[in-house]
Amino acid sequence: MSLRDVISPFNAWKRAFEKPDTIVKPLSEREGSPLYRGFHINDVDKCIGCGSCEEICQNAAIDLVDVASVKAKPGDSGLRPLIDYGRCCWCALCVDICPTGSLGMSNDYTWISENSDDYRFIPGVDDKKWNKSKKGYRRSAESWLVDPNRQHMNEIEPDKRKKNFDEYAEGFTDEQAMAEAGRCLDCGICIQACPTHMDVPKYINSIRNKDLDEGLRIMFETNPMLEACGRICTAKCEDVCAVGHNGKPIAIRSLKRYIGDQTFKKKDEIMDLKPAASTGRKVGIIGGGPAGLTAAFYLRRFGHAVTLYEQHDKLGGMLKWGIPDYRLPADVLQREIDFILRQGVEVKYSVKVGKDISFEQLHKENDALFISVGAQIGSDMPIKGMDTEGVYSGVEFLEKVSKGEKPFVGREAVIVGGGNTAMDATRSSIRLGAKAKILYRRTEQEMPANREEIREAKEEGAELKILSTPTKIEKLPSGRLKIECLKMELGEPDKSGRRSPVPKEGSEFYIEADVCIMAIGQKVEPEFSETIGLKVTKWGTFEVHSDTLRSNEKVFAGGDCQTGPDDAIKAVAAGKTAAYFIDRQLRG
Amino acid sequence: MKPIWNDTKEYDLKSGKYVKIWQGPQHPGITGNMSIELLLEGDEIKLLKTHVGYLHRGFEKLMERRKFINCFPIVCRICVPEPDTNEYLFAAAVEELSGIEIPERAKWIRTLNLEMARLGATVMGLGGQAGSFGLGTIGQWAVAHRDFLLDSFEELTGGRIYHMYIVPGGVRYEIPEGFEGRLEKTLVKIEKLLSDIDKVMFHNAVFKSRSKGLGYIPKDWIEPFGINGTTARASGVSYDVRKDHPYLIYDQLDFNVITGTEGDVYERVLIRKEECHLSINLIRQILAKMPKSGPVRTFIPDIMHWKIPAGETYVRAESGRGEYGYYMVTDGSEYPQRVHVKGPSYTHAMSLLEKLGEGVTNADIFGLMVSLQTYPPEIER
Amino acid sequence: MKELIERLRSKFNAKNIKEQRKNFVFITVEKKDLEGCVLYLKEFEGYGHLTLLTALDWIEKDQFELVYHLHNYFNKTDVSVKTFIDRKNPTMVSINNLWAGARVYEREIKELFGIDFPGCPRVNDPFALEGWHEIPPMRKDFDTKKYSEETYFPRPGRYTKDNVAQMEEQLYPVEAEVKNGIAETVRKK
Repeated sequence: MSLRDVISPFNAWKRAFEKPDTIVKPLSEREGSPLYRGFHINDVDKCIGCGSCEEICQNAAIDLVDVASVKAKPGDSGLRPLIDYGRCCWCALCVDICPTGSLGMSNDYTWISENSDDYRFIPGVDDKKWNKSKKGYRRSAESWLVDPNRQHMNEIEPDKRKKNFDEYAEGFTDEQAMAEAGRCLDCGICIQACPTHMDVPKYINSIRNKDLDEGLRIMFETNPMLEACGRICTAKCEDVCAVGHNGKPIAIRSLKRYIGDQTFKKKDEIMDLKPAASTGRKVGIIGGGPAGLTAAFYLRRFGHAVTLYEQHDKLGGMLKWGIPDYRLPADVLQREIDFILRQGVEVKYSVKVGKDISFEQLHKENDALFISVGAQIGSDMPIKGMDTEGVYSGVEFLEKVSKGEKPFVGREAVIVGGGNTAMDATRSSIRLGAKAKILYRRTEQEMPANREEIREAKEEGAELKILSTPTKIEKLPSGRLKIECLKMELGEPDKSGRRSPVPKEGSEFYIEADVCIMAIGQKVEPEFSETIGLKVTKWGTFEVHSDTLRSNEKVFAGGDCQTGPDDAIKAVAAGKTAAYFIDRQLRG
Repeated sequence: MKPIWNDTKEYDLKSGKYVKIWQGPQHPGITGNMSIELLLEGDEIKLLKTHVGYLHRGFEKLMERRKFINCFPIVCRICVPEPDTNEYLFAAAVEELSGIEIPERAKWIRTLNLEMARLGATVMGLGGQAGSFGLGTIGQWAVAHRDFLLDSFEELTGGRIYHMYIVPGGVRYEIPEGFEGRLEKTLVKIEKLLSDIDKVMFHNAVFKSRSKGLGYIPKDWIEPFGINGTTARASGVSYDVRKDHPYLIYDQLDFNVITGTEGDVYERVLIRKEECHLSINLIRQILAKMPKSGPVRTFIPDIMHWKIPAGETYVRAESGRGEYGYYMVTDGSEYPQRVHVKGPSYTHAMSLLEKLGEGVTNADIFGLMVSLQTYPPEIER
Repeated sequence: MKELIERLRSKFNAKNIKEQRKNFVFITVEKKDLEGCVLYLKEFEGYGHLTLLTALDWIEKDQFELVYHLHNYFNKTDVSVKTFIDRKNPTMVSINNLWAGARVYEREIKELFGIDFPGCPRVNDPFALEGWHEIPPMRKDFDTKKYSEETYFPRPGRYTKDNVAQMEEQLYPVEAEVKNGIAETVRKK
């Protein structure tokens, strides 16, 4: 015990002359740090109600509830997260996984209330003092728990693929499919966007669980033409995909194709469809396209006898005659059609209703009829020279290509139009040896074709002339065509929301070409409509009840012939709906 | 084998010679929530039993029901003064079993986090130690300075006590701008505090006379009781996980293991103070040597359905109190099969304290208990 | 390390040898050999530090697994000795004579798993639970969620909606009916 040990503790007294460490100001003024994980905020307009936050919360603190000020719409379920602060631990996993980035945390941390139920609140909807807070934890690009990049499917290079009609997209490998399926958040917003409401999260999960047989069965519940759709669908689901808000959407179409590719050899075994008990009723289907084939499949599952009347010698409709082989190979389509036919569908090929067999006879022989003839006649442009030799309509050209007839394209072909048909015609003419030029009256952003189609057409050498339209076509003595064109500029928006083109005075220019393909739209064959005598709308399509697709007591209609030219998946949905309501009617 | 500890002596409780008291979970002298049951003869403890269980939250069972990414927010709650060690060990076990490599910069940031946590916990431990002997002022200083360190944590990780910053794959986000400068200011303040504590506590006649010779642990008790950490080093066994089984980037840092010889309470507290200086030195080295840029997190694909192949491992780290270990077993599904958390207080507070407590006066038992730096939540998890 | 493994294999019939890291090996021995193996490692090989003693429940194999993790202070290596015991009558030799600290581990395992260690002092004292009347909680057949729902009650007033069902109801009710009706025909056998 030295003297130092007695005196030294008195050093503590020097602290009396120093500034205290404590804060003298009131507590409410002390702000949390900029990255502090405080109370939640939510941007109600950005939020899509996907439920990823509810799924990842490990304390079950988040519920999705309906809110009066928010309505459900495509891409948004209308529900918003409610957070229970009695259970939340402020770990910010919900913020890290939010696909739109709408959920965040402020840096506020004081909230005093005498009522415990106040602590269950809906951030962004309930009025709280931290709603406008700019600081606090937000998810950054590196902390997002989802991979924003998509797996890239291998394609044959443009120089090689433009020489033949072989399929150029190779499909996902097993690892790519697992990796792409692993990006899915299981939210289910895409189900509503699909016209036939396929259970997308469920079949993506079947890829994760390596149970592709179950995936196939899930897909057949809503779509029997899945292999075709896996290659050519416009994928409305991918447009609303939650991951697509801040990354690339999940490649849903390619995953569908993957399941189809891996299971087609054993389809009969996996599906194990025993024929349903016969109901004794007969249904006639006119037109063997996607709508007719889908209706045939599901009507056979209900037990009705089905006869399909097809005007061509092969089934498939626009899938066969309007889409070239490099996008949808003929054998892929045929094997899918054969599976449907194996369910017991009777087909009469090369039979045109109205010519080879009368509509009245069909009406008498069958208990119900479904009309799915499609819109297979190309629309005409109202300009001079449309009937010049060398001017084709897009669908006419593609039908010849699909039949293997190799129509004449010369060295230079001009294609008018901006939809998928125009792109198909362009790429087919390149493969037949021509240099292709595309004329479109609006800009590239407004082109209705799939983005990949436009990109791939350009890669194969097509030249795109936007804001141009032909006004007259003449035949030159050399045999070539001289096309007079006019430049356009964009004016006010029209009914479809796109800005309508306005001709620019004095901007005429001329193009010479060997053929001109007009792919500006399609319509229902007017002679057929007249023959069967059903009510038609002013666009030439059949008028039906919007829910049940019924035209009169026995006749239903669906697909392109009812909506106008549209996607194949809409036709599949129409076929499915018609089958259901036909069955309901036949059972009484 | 002769047992090292023969505690079968029976006491006649009806003779009127003994008093049984319960120093229960709410007590200023006990760290955390634990109670000790004392059998006193006059002022001297004859028998001591530790009772734990006030903080049993069932973490190990909870983790069996949660996916791997959902476990990390609850792991830090096992130990309150120093949660980062738990976060690090869970992440290290998962990374070892799943084969993920973390970026270099993430390792440095994790080490920085661990050392800051050690510093905070040890400073508070010094305050608690002083308080257990009645020197209340030092406790106030220590808690205030720990608060400055918590401000640094808030800036770096977004939370003051439960950071949830170290995750499987790296750390959650990058160090904010200017953080190093502000941390250095806090370190300077803590160094000033340590020099004050040296004058006021360690050259203090009362503290010295009470603590020297108290709670002597001889060297041959280390193995049977499994003692580790500062407690072992004070008795002369130089065992430090950072040197013996280097993890993260400790093999790139320059430091010596601090060992003592006396093995009593005074020596243990002195070594803790020296370790505070060591932590400050290590933090400065880390800030100087850290790579200036780089990714801080490895992306884990499909995290909600993350399956880890079957396997088992044991990972260890040195926390302020001793050797921490996680034993994890996976069976190829999305959930862990078993996670066993072993904290240093497990053996220190239960068997060692019961042995050391015999013969100690009632007034000194708390000083002894705090010097073992036990913390009940990690005993019963 | 390799010679040590050979010695253990020959003396105690150690099986399932797995080197997890450079200085860390897992071995499995029979229940009857365990005490001898652990004693041998402690006394003759220098593995004097008992780091961990824990149990695992393999309900599908109807076995408990005990893990004794030993550490050598001198050459800084770890050996983890595992053994399997029967799940219906779980009991094991107590090693509290070798390590005084082992009694705490054994007490905890008795309470949480139900494995008995006869000879361990105060092994029946409750460790972390008080007034517990159910089966030992760390066993796999104890369902914590069910227990908490039966014993306690959550604060009422919470409900959650499924976003897919909400969109079906609000945006396409007729088509949802069609979808369900059709789906049945594909699934029925």
